[in-house]
Amino acid sequence: MPLFPVHRDPATAAFFDGTARGEFLLARDTTTGAWLAPQTDVDSRDELERVPAAGTGSVVSWAVVPGRGERTEPTVVAIVQLDEGPWWWTELVDVDPHGDLADLRVQAQFMPSGPGEHDEQVPVFAPVG
Amino acid sequence: MTDSTTDSAFRPNTAIAGLGMTELGKVYGRTARQFAVEAVQRAAADAGIGVGDIDGLLVSTGISPGYGIDLQGDLGLTDLGLLSSVQGYGSTATQMVQYASMAIASGMVDTVACVWADDPLKEKTATSAAYRAAGSLPTGWRALTGTANILTPNTLYALAARRHMLAYGTTQDQFGAIAVAQREWATMNPLAQFRTPLTLEEYHASRWIAEPFHLFDCCLVSNGGIAVIVTSAERAADLAQPVVQVLGWGQSHPGRSGRRNDDFGLVTGAAQSGPRALQMARTTLDEIDVVELYDCYTYTALVSLEDYGFCAKGEGGDFVSTPGMLGPNGKLKVNTGGGQLSSYYMWGMTPLSEAIIQARGQAGERQVDAHHRVLVSGNGGILDHHGTLVLGTD
Repeated sequence: MPLFPVHRDPATAAFFDGTARGEFLLARDTTTGAWLAPQTDVDSRDELERVPAAGTGSVVSWAVVPGRGERTEPTVVAIVQLDEGPWWWTELVDVDPHGDLADLRVQAQFMPSGPGEHDEQVPVFAPVG
Repeated sequence: MTDSTTDSAFRPNTAIAGLGMTELGKVYGRTARQFAVEAVQRAAADAGIGVGDIDGLLVSTGISPGYGIDLQGDLGLTDLGLLSSVQGYGSTATQMVQYASMAIASGMVDTVACVWADDPLKEKTATSAAYRAAGSLPTGWRALTGTANILTPNTLYALAARRHMLAYGTTQDQFGAIAVAQREWATMNPLAQFRTPLTLEEYHASRWIAEPFHLFDCCLVSNGGIAVIVTSAERAADLAQPVVQVLGWGQSHPGRSGRRNDDFGLVTGAAQSGPRALQMARTTLDEIDVVELYDCYTYTALVSLEDYGFCAKGEGGDFVSTPGMLGPNGKLKVNTGGGQLSSYYMWGMTPLSEAIIQARGQAGERQVDAHHRVLVSGNGGILDHHGTLVLGTD
């Protein structure tokens, strides 16, 4: 569950347009085919474009943050390597906090970061299948 | 021989002549600015000079906004030849000594005070709240990481440590070996906040901060300030304390983005700053008597030992858990005051201050026998910034 509402700024607006459609947008270099991280400033170079990723990847590393305050359940956080290559630092849902999550296959889901009209949809990752 | 080891190569020829430490730890009712002023005054007195003899000032703070270069006014310093604020997070202390040495070597100034102070702890507020309260919620791309509950250095370093565990088979018992060994040193350090012995069982029983980190994998939080006086080696010889020469240094800022597969968690900038410092000092690792590492987490100490070359990459876990390796009776004298895990958390000033105390031979009950060469390591950000010093007493 997202910890707090997230709002767009000029740098993240296109990414959130994607999450609203259920897409995880990466950047791609049309001349080389190289996949680049979502944070890449696509508008800075003509050869860059935004392309939806498959939304699948594997867990590179994870940590478990104990519950605190209103959030009583622990949060499992992870570095996910997307199948296209880039890394994404994220929350894992529907996983056993005590389990061995190394190389776990995961898939993006999109959740509202808050109840407000301007609270963006954010990606979390759950086990595939 | 390479060019850099010939006699024509640069030699710092500077020394640390003064060390000033305020009361450290749960010290309330005083601001970072007050700590900083007292630390500089103490450092000058320790060196046997007046505050007015300082002609260069480098300042840095922790998470408290505290003070800036206006500290000059609080100290009553006039006509300085060098004044600046330095920020390399945990590498700052080593950086300040480097910049001070360069300024002295170039003839800009004679005597530089380098000071760091912070006041994150507030009375009747939990220690764990100190750093949480410091940051407002992130915006932009960082908000996406933050809302995933990846908000603190604890969590980011936990992800780094887990990657090391997965890649090399490093275990929590091995992290625990560092916590236990450093606590053993701290029992002999009157300045340490934690002075009761720690067992591996107590380490494992301590609460989770961000798994795989227990409470005793993580550094303390402290209020206080520390300053050092850097001057020429020649001048230091005429002052009050045993001369602690600055023999060599290095920095490394790897600039990893975390946006694709790299060596996050596996290798730190110490792998570059360490050899650079040793080369400038014309020394080698086997001549290092004492090692004072930045140990914001047990894991940080472990990965730093690998990167400096005290053991092979990936073998840090076996190395630190080898019986007879760490601790006061161990073969390698590491974090001899208890480090940030058990003594006090003054960012990079923690390893630097203990290095000076040991190099001078003033560590009392915990004094190591051989202390001619001391390696000091600073680590800042999330393994983003590294600084190394080699100090000596020749």
